[in-house]
Amino acid sequence: MSFLSSLMNALPGAAAQGLAWGIMAIGVYITFRILDVADLTVDGSLATGGAVCVMLIRGGVNPWLALLCAMLAGMLAGLVTGLFHTRCGIPAILAGILTQLALYSINLRIMDSKANQALSVDKYPLLLSQRYVRELSLNNPLPLLLIFTAAVIAALYWFFGTEKGSSLRATGANPNMARAQGINTNSNIVLGLMLSNGLVALSGALLAQYQGSSDINMGRGAIVIGLAAVIIGEVIFGKVFANFGLKLFAVSIGAIIYYIVLQVVLQLGLNTNDLKLITALIVAVFLAIPYWKSKMFRHTAQAKKGGSKNA
Amino acid sequence: MNTKRIISLAASLALVLSLSVGLTGCGDKTAQDDNQGEPAADSVKYTVGVCQLVQHDALDAATQGFIDALNEALPGQVEIVTKNASGDSANCSTIVNGFVSDNVDLIMANATPALTAAAAATKDIPILGTSITAYGVALDIDDFNGTVGGNISGTSDLADLEAQADMITEWFPEAKKVGLLFCSAEPNSLYQVEEVAKYLSAKGIESQQFAFTDTNDVASVTQSAADYADVIYAPTDNTAASNTEAIANVLVPAGVPVIAGEEGICKGCGVATLSISYYDLGATTGKMAAKILTGEADISEMPIEFTDATPKYNASMCETLGITPLDGYTAIED
Repeated sequence: MSFLSSLMNALPGAAAQGLAWGIMAIGVYITFRILDVADLTVDGSLATGGAVCVMLIRGGVNPWLALLCAMLAGMLAGLVTGLFHTRCGIPAILAGILTQLALYSINLRIMDSKANQALSVDKYPLLLSQRYVRELSLNNPLPLLLIFTAAVIAALYWFFGTEKGSSLRATGANPNMARAQGINTNSNIVLGLMLSNGLVALSGALLAQYQGSSDINMGRGAIVIGLAAVIIGEVIFGKVFANFGLKLFAVSIGAIIYYIVLQVVLQLGLNTNDLKLITALIVAVFLAIPYWKSKMFRHTAQAKKGGSKNA
Repeated sequence: MNTKRIISLAASLALVLSLSVGLTGCGDKTAQDDNQGEPAADSVKYTVGVCQLVQHDALDAATQGFIDALNEALPGQVEIVTKNASGDSANCSTIVNGFVSDNVDLIMANATPALTAAAAATKDIPILGTSITAYGVALDIDDFNGTVGGNISGTSDLADLEAQADMITEWFPEAKKVGLLFCSAEPNSLYQVEEVAKYLSAKGIESQQFAFTDTNDVASVTQSAADYADVIYAPTDNTAASNTEAIANVLVPAGVPVIAGEEGICKGCGVATLSISYYDLGATTGKMAAKILTGEADISEMPIEFTDATPKYNASMCETLGITPLDGYTAIED
């Protein structure tokens, strides 16, 4: 079978995984770009979302309700990080790491002390599953994931336009100025972290259904994927998409591109022992591109100046 | 301005592609080294995808056994593609997605998260699991009767847990308290530990769980287990297997012996074990695969297979702790 046709076959799966991780990446965008906080809680809250969702569905709860509960659990995790940071004066990175560490034990408790809980699509009415990703039917997870992504972006677009949302953006942009305007920056940081981790947990809940199980290690390295998606989206669409909603959309596309690149690399027959190296290199390249680009522009700009002088 | 953007975009894309192609080039050679007896392209009749969870001695041995047995049964007719998720369960989905889109003839899933990812991905392509301890638990099947049905079957690494509990009392008839040492991140460890505890309590022996979360707290958890227990039982557990030195460093000075669930742990810090060979387990899976590929057997009717366990002991550890090995046990070779 030719490489291209098998790649085309693999695309729906990569796109679905990318869309699910994209919701998580939008959560990372809120903390990393809007709030200007590096929040490492996500490695734990992604698994929390998966764990809560899987356990509730196994317990016979409606999958939609399970998704909502997963999101609330994630917001709770964000609240803890926020309180560590604002009320206990712990630096944001450390507060995130602490919560992430604590979440390992909590996730185990949620999953009934088991490291892996299966959730079979044959047994429960799951909203989405990898099994139907190549089928042309209502079961296909892609439309649902697209609707989720669109709904999340629309809700955030509306929220960041409200007074509260604007004050949250101000908190990230210039905390001193925001405080001078009478904005309670601490409560805004907590709110931002809750919002972000709620989305991350929602993504974890979708992923757990998609891959048919929740795993204690499923969030490991999530922050890297999230940042990669944010940065890939910015590098490629930074100049094209000025609108806030489109910027969030770019993050989601960034996650899809990340998974497609990963899939291409795997399809090319890479020795998978090098997988982590490739992941790091993909992220590093996309991180470096804006820097190289700015250097290149400076050079060309200078060259132009010189050129006009000579002329 | 616009052209510049296009140029830089094209440049960045070219860079990523050349990077991945370059690295893939290096990868290809090693991948071929892994596949012993790579068949000539024209005689290939079947393609088999292997998804392994993580780089690990036992799992590597199972994959190798699978490849060898399959190549022996169908020489030159099978192309085996092995992919390793590097310990990340999300990567299992990506790898399996690739297999399904390539429309491979069979998927071999090595370890539980690989199996659940494969089961979620396809209902049509036959899936064989290996290194799975309990299929009923891994696939969430009520009243599991030994056959999964549908497109899934495989082999289990579950050693006879009742026999292991018996082993504890045979070796240490005086023992009153048994510490159960395992890693909380591993799906199958808790199951084994709970089963063994059940058999022990039937014998009137008290037991308590001591779970560590990762490499970093192995030593301190082992210490509290040593303070509690007369004997320690360590099930088949990957993290324990990677940290046998740390465990031995705590337990040998404390004089507390370990009965282990598998040979790797026993070799590092244990006294005795009922050991299964992961290579044999993989080979059994390979033979099943050959039957499925040739149409000789129907996967939906194939029950989960096991391999026989051999009783073994760790000679140097017995000497250090002053324990006389029981009859019927063979020494583990270095």
